Amino acid sequence: MEITKGVVICLISVIVIFIASAVTSFIIMHSSDREDPKENNGTNYVEIVQDNKIVYIFDLNSESDRTFRIECPKGGWNDITIENSQIFISDSDCPDKTCVNMGKLRSEYAPIVCLPHKLVIRFSDRGDE
Amino acid sequence: MKIRKITELSLLTGLALIIFVVELRFPDILPVPGGKLGLANIITVYAVYKYRACEVFLLVLARIILGTVFASNFSALIYSLSGALFCLAGMLLLKRIIPVRWLWLCSTIGAVLHNTGQIAAAIAVMQSFAVIYYYPFLVFCGCIAGAFTGICAQLVVNRIGRKGRSYNEKRLFYD
Repeated sequence: MEITKGVVICLISVIVIFIASAVTSFIIMHSSDREDPKENNGTNYVEIVQDNKIVYIFDLNSESDRTFRIECPKGGWNDITIENSQIFISDSDCPDKTCVNMGKLRSEYAPIVCLPHKLVIRFSDRGDE
Repeated sequence: MKIRKITELSLLTGLALIIFVVELRFPDILPVPGGKLGLANIITVYAVYKYRACEVFLLVLARIILGTVFASNFSALIYSLSGALFCLAGMLLLKRIIPVRWLWLCSTIGAVLHNTGQIAAAIAVMQSFAVIYYYPFLVFCGCIAGAFTGICAQLVVNRIGRKGRSYNEKRLFYD
């Protein structure tokens, strides 16, 4: 069972890709957790982007607990819940419910994304206006 | 195309669809869009090494379109389509470099290419780079899932190679 040069190259590149992606995803998932929501000058701005347009922007720390629904212009909806200064998608009518499974918004590098409804929830640094 | 080949291809398409529909019933393990095991790719990897490029292309296309109909998840069509075509193109090229004994390697690279195609489609559809943060995580899981499906396909190839009476076996597999 001989090993050709092409196989060696592919094997090495797969190992490199595997390790690189493991390290990168570890960094993204763990280093940027906002454990303390109050750290950012007492504000915690979050923006909700639909179809590449910002539809909502608000400070999580000053929002009361509530649930509201965002309708998609092409049909469909996402229920978004704010609870204890944390935001998550609590329900959706899409078939896979990936956005619901993503849980709470924790990191600025990992936004909550709903691909079928083109919806993104992420931390914002331009809440000043 | 010979009738025998048409039959084999449609049998494989049906097999891939069954695996796909069964996999739909699995709970989502990963909280990332597009993150799943992709067991139906066992059939794709197997077909890449056994049939010609255009035949595999037809098989994959039929599997994806019918799979979308069965899953009634039409918004996901563009992601699975672009992912699968990226993956297929890469694997068809790699087939020339990687012999059948290293099939799992081809499948792993194919999985990474699949994730690349998915993320590229997501960026194009959403017109935003928000989803790119999931790319490393998807690639990491894709490597594991790709290696797993590749090993499954390897087992299939080994068994058919020993016992099966498929035509032109030696020429197609070991040239």
